[in-house]
Amino acid sequence: MAATAAAAAASPLSSFTIHSPIPSLSFFFPKPSKPFSLRRSFRSLSLAPKSKASNIDTSFFDELDPEEDVVFDPPTPPEGFIPPSSFDDGPEETEDEIAAAYEELYGPAYSGVSVLGNDVRVMDSKVKRTSAFGKIKKEKVKDGFDERVVQVRRVTKVVKGGKQLHFRAIVVVGDKQGRVGVGVGKAKEVITAVQKSATNARRNIISIPMTKYLTFPHRSEGDYGAATVMLRPAAPGTGVIAGGAVRIVLEMAGVENALGKQLGSKNALNNARATVVAVQKMKQFREVAQERGIPMEELWK
Amino acid sequence: MARRYWNINLEEMLEAGVHFGHGTRKWNPRMAPYISAKRKGIHITNLTRTARFLSEACDLLFDAASKGKQFLIVGTKNKAADSVARAAIKARCHYVNKKWLGGMLTNWPTTETRLHKFRDLRTEQKTGGLNRLPKRDAAMLKRQLSRLQTYLGGIKYMTRLPDIVIIVDQQEEYTALRECITLGIPTICLIDTNCDPDLADISIPANDDAIASIRLILNKLVVAICEGRSSYIRNP
Repeated sequence: MAATAAAAAASPLSSFTIHSPIPSLSFFFPKPSKPFSLRRSFRSLSLAPKSKASNIDTSFFDELDPEEDVVFDPPTPPEGFIPPSSFDDGPEETEDEIAAAYEELYGPAYSGVSVLGNDVRVMDSKVKRTSAFGKIKKEKVKDGFDERVVQVRRVTKVVKGGKQLHFRAIVVVGDKQGRVGVGVGKAKEVITAVQKSATNARRNIISIPMTKYLTFPHRSEGDYGAATVMLRPAAPGTGVIAGGAVRIVLEMAGVENALGKQLGSKNALNNARATVVAVQKMKQFREVAQERGIPMEELWK
Repeated sequence: MARRYWNINLEEMLEAGVHFGHGTRKWNPRMAPYISAKRKGIHITNLTRTARFLSEACDLLFDAASKGKQFLIVGTKNKAADSVARAAIKARCHYVNKKWLGGMLTNWPTTETRLHKFRDLRTEQKTGGLNRLPKRDAAMLKRQLSRLQTYLGGIKYMTRLPDIVIIVDQQEEYTALRECITLGIPTICLIDTNCDPDLADISIPANDDAIASIRLILNKLVVAICEGRSSYIRNP
């Protein structure tokens, strides 16, 4: 009944409920019959790549079941409940009152006038100093990430007037403790391009599941475009045996012993991205610990 | 999250016409769980689900406001622009009335630059600096000021990214919704039968064409925010 209701609802997840798990497994681990728990796990998975998933609280959706018959039973109104007026009726507020109310809550911000007597220029510290003399000194963002440039290429766009030259930089950013990111950036100068790609790299960081001996838990393959990369764990003392882009990504991640091979195209950017894909495909320690029901410390032995 | 009473009754919603959807041909099949019937070539949304979602959205807003979070209401349809502005002013929230400029949230540093310029122009206007300039420059600055006032007037008190965004029509404000998703900001969206309910965090299936229905839903949400704020003031 639940399966047909799920099939009737044009939910993209309905296929999960129709194909039930292997009968022998379902004997040991009774699968919940309701579709909503799968929906929840799918939802938490789909939220992960979008943003910093670890601090989003998705427990709001734990009790939501879209297929169940929703009965609207509001809690009883408290005694003496007067329905509040709509936002249109009520006394018209003068601009001064509105400005005062907003200023109480947020401070004078960017309004230019201050009714409560606060300093109007309170947001000035955020103004970046324009280049009054020579170059603007940009401070290096200190967040513990090392940058390594994989490749800098000069690329051309042909226009009516001639050739327009830009530089494209590929940078791998990582602390040596299991977090890496690959970024691309283009600009008319090499340094600016490298900076742009570093900011881009910091935006897509992934974490690698590393074992005690600083290697992978198992083999994996990943592809991006025409580049295929195969990664294999190795015994301690091996070092990183991989070529070009793959080696840089693994070194910046802090992996000490691994084998990697570029099987398809030899394009640096695509291979770097393919290693990232390969690493994302690996089983994370948290999932394995949950599945097997043992604490994570056991897995690190 | 405690469930509170938000004075949501189905008769009120029926009067405002919240249950009307768009034409049958324009529907999004993902809205199937929320559609109850088809009448005269128009889909009718299931009001019990709407009421349930609306009360949960109000609970969320109450909790967030009692923790001192910032809200942003986005509604750019000509019909709804006025009521969005008034609702936001009543609730002391930021709002976007006119066109949503692309990159307002994702390109926040650039928006901040514009807000700085807006603030400087306002201070100059107040101190009468505009009258000392030649007529042409003064006219140009006044034009810039009026432009900034229409587009950024509702967010001039916004110092950082908002914590919750309320969007009035998903089809119309698709860019705004996309920006919030990339930034990871929770959204509450009014969904019609031609919209996708999986994009927003809480989607309220309702009619986004009728002014009465938009006003009704905005009313409930604004009441929730006000109550949360007053409880925040009482015990921060």
